[in-house]
Amino acid sequence: MGFTLYNLIEAALLCINAVAILSERFLSKLSGNANINYPNVGGYGVDYQNSGGAKQQLLTLIRSVRTVMRIPLIAFNVVTIMFLILFG
Amino acid sequence: MSSDGPIYRTTNYPHPQQQQSSQFYQPTTPSPQSQASNAHGGDYTVPNPQSHNGFFSPQTAFYGSSNQATSSIEFLSNNPFLNVGFNVVEQGMKDMTDKTINMLPNQMKKSLSSIKYYFAVDQTYVIKKLCLILFPFRPRNWSIGYNADEPVPPRVDTNAPDYYIPLMSAITYVLVAGLVLGIQNRFTPEQLGMHATSVLIWNIIEILILCITFYIFNIQSKLRILDLIAYCGYKYVGMITALSSYLITDSLFIYRLTLLYISISLSYFLVKCLRLQILPDIGGSQPYNTNGNTRRIYLLLFVVLLQPLFIWYLTQHLIIP
Repeated sequence: MGFTLYNLIEAALLCINAVAILSERFLSKLSGNANINYPNVGGYGVDYQNSGGAKQQLLTLIRSVRTVMRIPLIAFNVVTIMFLILFG
Repeated sequence: MSSDGPIYRTTNYPHPQQQQSSQFYQPTTPSPQSQASNAHGGDYTVPNPQSHNGFFSPQTAFYGSSNQATSSIEFLSNNPFLNVGFNVVEQGMKDMTDKTINMLPNQMKKSLSSIKYYFAVDQTYVIKKLCLILFPFRPRNWSIGYNADEPVPPRVDTNAPDYYIPLMSAITYVLVAGLVLGIQNRFTPEQLGMHATSVLIWNIIEILILCITFYIFNIQSKLRILDLIAYCGYKYVGMITALSSYLITDSLFIYRLTLLYISISLSYFLVKCLRLQILPDIGGSQPYNTNGNTRRIYLLLFVVLLQPLFIWYLTQHLIIP
């Protein structure tokens, strides 16, 4: 119960780090994609019959989080590390 | 008309002290009346500056005439200046808030006006909603009224969600938790802040989980995120009643019984409220495939089952056997 706002920020940061670390090959293997080199099958070009599935939605979510958060994550991680070093 | 009422009221007070206090209270009492008369069905933007400008000019004229009538009492001669000062300060504050609101980007302005919708409540709505949360088992009509494809504000329709009850009951929960801790001699002032932060954090976590679940299962429903926040806030009413029952009777059995009853009634209430918004229309055409229906039912059950879990978890640490 000893929740502070800092604990929430730390938990969110760790979760987003976990999402960012996933490798691209693992994700494309999960999405059942026949050929990695052709972007029209799985990946960014989704055929619209299959895009309603829960797995596709989840993979789209993970891909978009990675694309958006890649650069800001570096900044957040550096700031958090400095905080922890300075203030324990 | 609201502008005529206070003027007639001051003429009925013969006592000069009462007249002075009623003159002091004039600038603040008409504001809920003018807001109540201004906020109709689709009118959520605040037209208050015009109504206040139109209201205050006959009043300052009235203060001029009353000053001549009570000139024997020296203290009252300062009144017109004090009231002009009040007017200037109030006008200045309104200008400042208008300027800050206009500085925000367009998206936030829209969400500000949509949040104002949730606070358009009055006392009968609050009482009816509270009775409904605590005893939803009477047969009634649960559909939400619409006014030209926009939901009607909660003042008009008892079934509409609002933010007033969740906000007030969350604050009351923090205070009641402090009370329970104090009775057990475990209270320090930091506990209040910790409870308030944990209420906020658990709310954020719950809304995030629900939004992600909605997105992953690709469910398109009429339920907006703001509505979901309101429906998730109704569990604090249950928490307060469970904690109060423990406070009053100081028996674990009554507390568990109240917890069980609150879970059942809150689940019933939420199922009835959300059923019409998450599940598809029965009478309309069916563009979705039938798989969507099972998913929606599971999602509804998930939302509803999450609430008693939170109630139990958030009150557990306050009860010692």
